Amino acid sequence: MKAYINQILDVPTSDPDDARRRRLLNIMLFGVLLAVMLGLIAIVLDSIRSQRSSSESEMQLLLGGTVAVTLGIFGIYQVNRRFSGRWAALSFLLLLTTIFVFTDSAEDLANGRSLFLFTLPITIASLILAPQASFLFAAISSAIVAWLGMSVGLSINVFVVSGFFVLALVSWLSARSLEAALQDLRAINANLDRVVAERTQALAESLDRERIEAGRNQAILNSIADGVIVFDRSWTAILANPAVKGMLEIPLELIVSKNFRDLIEHPRLNPGSRSLLYAMIEHDTQPIGFRIEWGGKTLSVSAAQVYNNKGEYIGNVTVFRDFTREAEVEKLKSKFVAIVSHELRTPLNAILGYSEMFKEAVYGPINEKQFNMADRIMKNTQRLLGLINDLLDQAQMEAGKMTIQMRPVKPAELLDSLHSVMDKIIQDKGVQLTSEIDDNVPEILNGDAARLQQILVNLVNNAVKFTDQGSVRVRLFFVSEDTWGMEVSDTGHGIPEAELPFIFETFHQVDSAATRVHGGFGLGLSIVKQLVNLMNGTIKVQSKMNEGSTFIINLPLVVPEEIVENWRNA
Amino acid sequence: MSDTALIIEDDEDLANIFAEALRGVGFEVEHVADGKKAEERLKSGAVPYLVLLDMHLPHIAGADILTNIIKQDERFAKMTVIITTADARMGEAYVDQVDFVLIKPISFVQLRDLTARLKPKDQS
Repeated sequence: MKAYINQILDVPTSDPDDARRRRLLNIMLFGVLLAVMLGLIAIVLDSIRSQRSSSESEMQLLLGGTVAVTLGIFGIYQVNRRFSGRWAALSFLLLLTTIFVFTDSAEDLANGRSLFLFTLPITIASLILAPQASFLFAAISSAIVAWLGMSVGLSINVFVVSGFFVLALVSWLSARSLEAALQDLRAINANLDRVVAERTQALAESLDRERIEAGRNQAILNSIADGVIVFDRSWTAILANPAVKGMLEIPLELIVSKNFRDLIEHPRLNPGSRSLLYAMIEHDTQPIGFRIEWGGKTLSVSAAQVYNNKGEYIGNVTVFRDFTREAEVEKLKSKFVAIVSHELRTPLNAILGYSEMFKEAVYGPINEKQFNMADRIMKNTQRLLGLINDLLDQAQMEAGKMTIQMRPVKPAELLDSLHSVMDKIIQDKGVQLTSEIDDNVPEILNGDAARLQQILVNLVNNAVKFTDQGSVRVRLFFVSEDTWGMEVSDTGHGIPEAELPFIFETFHQVDSAATRVHGGFGLGLSIVKQLVNLMNGTIKVQSKMNEGSTFIINLPLVVPEEIVENWRNA
Repeated sequence: MSDTALIIEDDEDLANIFAEALRGVGFEVEHVADGKKAEERLKSGAVPYLVLLDMHLPHIAGADILTNIIKQDERFAKMTVIITTADARMGEAYVDQVDFVLIKPISFVQLRDLTARLKPKDQS
């Protein structure tokens, strides 16, 4: 019904003001049609009720007038719908005015009870034609009222005319402000529409971008050989790539949207690895890497927290890499190195022992040349042993098997045994080895004597190797209540600045010509650095070409409980 | 007190060198080359004054001889026990249970000088 009424009232125009006026006009046309019909019925009923026989001509006039008005309204309606709102409105107003002229006597219209009728076209004109049209109808109405008045001998009623114009002014002003308000409203609406359209567009674009991005990410995830699982904050898997399926031999449906805690209860995971994964879940603070045994596979696991661009923690991403082959190779390698080192050391020990016995003249006196030869055999054997020890240490460290055993150590004894090992070598080279301990270094501290010794021997050996004259100086020093240090400085060749960043690297040798003279695998400093790291210490080096080098090590200072008091008091 | 030193070492050359070092300072040297023979010797023969025990032996490991025989029998309470090993970590593990731990390579002079100090006073 409503739709049907709307269809009748609708006008084909794109101008919203025009549309509003023409719809209003249509409503008025129907209103007037209804009023005319009701008027006609009322008159007919009235004449029947009062038994007043109206003359035939009166009835004909009434019917003719009604038909004429109905046709006029229909015509205006058609003009309004198809042709022009302006012309339709003008015609309607003129029709209305014309009807009013015939509704009452001339006296009453000009100066009496029906005078108010003329205010209607004035007001309506401002609404359905144009705001300023009210003045036109004020003028027309004034002219009609004047004409009607004159026809019955009345003079022009100045008050009525000025009243018409005042009314026209008021109508004009209100219609104008109404239109202005509507215009503002339309502007606001248009702006709103535009903003909504823009936002919608932007949203659609960003969704598109996200879809493309997600597709690309999925493609990347699918194509990498590492297994990737993305977890939310509660460690529920939200994404997993096909590689995970192959690695864990579990269908993806049993991984995605399941909690990681359930997954690691899987019987193929060995118990040690399970506790590592639990530790990862419970203490997920740092990016970490470790290995697990899953079925017959060794997998390396690395996990990292994921943050959104606001810096909020949103989950974790865990990457699994099949490490089975590498782990086997590594195991074989360290086994190989261990066996080789052991098997090499036993005959070397025999060579060393026999040459010592020879040198010591166990089986009878030897001459000087024989003595020197035995000495050379011993020295070279010791060098070879040193190299094998370095290799073994390196292999142990790579396998993570090197451990630090903390026991009470006397710093003074460290220097004593350093001298006992190095003095002969130093003497042969014709340089000097001096050592000192700062006063406030505690007499006993906790440390791994053998490894500290190894660090000092390696550093001094290295210093001697590159020092042709002058001295090598070792100093043990106190830094603070929780730090002490060891320093080895020399007056040797120095290290080229460009080499400084690399000297602690495994198998690194500064200047290959010098190494050919001095020998070594380039493992000494690398082992020192790794041992210092194992002790949670730091090492740095300062060097100037042709002036010498200084290695400075800082280590955590832990003093055995029983001597803390004495040391503090001292 | 006996001045016998028992060398338990499977490598013939090392045993030879150790024996020369010990003989050099006046010990009577006995040598066995595997764990089983060492066990028999310790259980049946007279208690040596000093034993030089290699930790890596065929048949019965040196560690087992130490824990299951030497540490179990009162007779060995006063015997000087020196263990020899190429594995420094293993040596560290036994440092509290024996008199000396020597890490291979072991120097002839070092062993000779050490055992000279350990010899029974009446013999030196």
